[in-house]
Amino acid sequence: MKRIFTLFAALLLTFTAFAQSGKSIYQKYSDADDVSAVYISPSMFKLIGKIPNIEYEDGSVNLSPLIRTLSGMYILNSENPAINASLRNDVERFIKSGNYDLLLEAKHDGEAVRMYTMGSEKTVNGFVMLAADGDELTFICIDGQMPRDQLEKAMIEMQDFY
Amino acid sequence: MKTLEEIENLSIEELEQQAVREAAPVPDGLQERLRQTLAAREIADAARPRPARWIPYASLAVAAAAAAVIALPQRGPKDTFDDPRLAYAEVEKVFRTISDKMNDGLEIAREAGSAAELPQNVLNKIQTK
Repeated sequence: MKRIFTLFAALLLTFTAFAQSGKSIYQKYSDADDVSAVYISPSMFKLIGKIPNIEYEDGSVNLSPLIRTLSGMYILNSENPAINASLRNDVERFIKSGNYDLLLEAKHDGEAVRMYTMGSEKTVNGFVMLAADGDELTFICIDGQMPRDQLEKAMIEMQDFY
Repeated sequence: MKTLEEIENLSIEELEQQAVREAAPVPDGLQERLRQTLAAREIADAARPRPARWIPYASLAVAAAAAAVIALPQRGPKDTFDDPRLAYAEVEKVFRTISDKMNDGLEIAREAGSAAELPQNVLNKIQTK
């Protein structure tokens, strides 16, 4: 009987480890107190891509080509210290299990930002950002087939514009 | 003594009669040796680990869990926006946030780079004097 329980525990842990993804993290924390959550589905991204005339401010960056390559966006913003610790652990586990590479890490005046990407030289299949600023923790996870040059270009253009 | 050919030509009944007539003597102690061999085998069988009883149950449990994970519909989270324009605005906001944070990081790296260049500049000045 003891062996059965051990086996079940191992099985459960395996499934939990496999289930770790942006989606599962979002589902775990999106309803928690002091957590704001935004999810944009693949269907919504398709709809955005079909909007005929998105109004852009003069010189603003047209993200439509990039948006067409996205398949999911999960955003969590927590101001709950208990949730922050758990969320940080889950994200780190997700990063380790998901073959993500560290893109950027910056710490300054109590603010810490880490960005990770997953994919090839040409395509980014996953982007994760974890930013901590005081009691606030922000988790952003973007899934898709983003051409790396297009993503970098959008980032640079947005820096120039805003 | 019969030849092999003669033996082959004998019928079953003749062979049986021949066997009864010339019954071979049982070697001494054969019965004891058989008993000992059987007893030894029994002991060896008892010592061999039997397949654990929990294995079939555990296999069933694993199969059921795997089936549940595969078969159960994966319910996704609900879209936050119904209006694609609002969703676009949110995406724009997210990319702006990422861009800002990236810019902050690069700014820190630039500052660190200038600080790292300072001792080299001092050394260069000393060398030129």
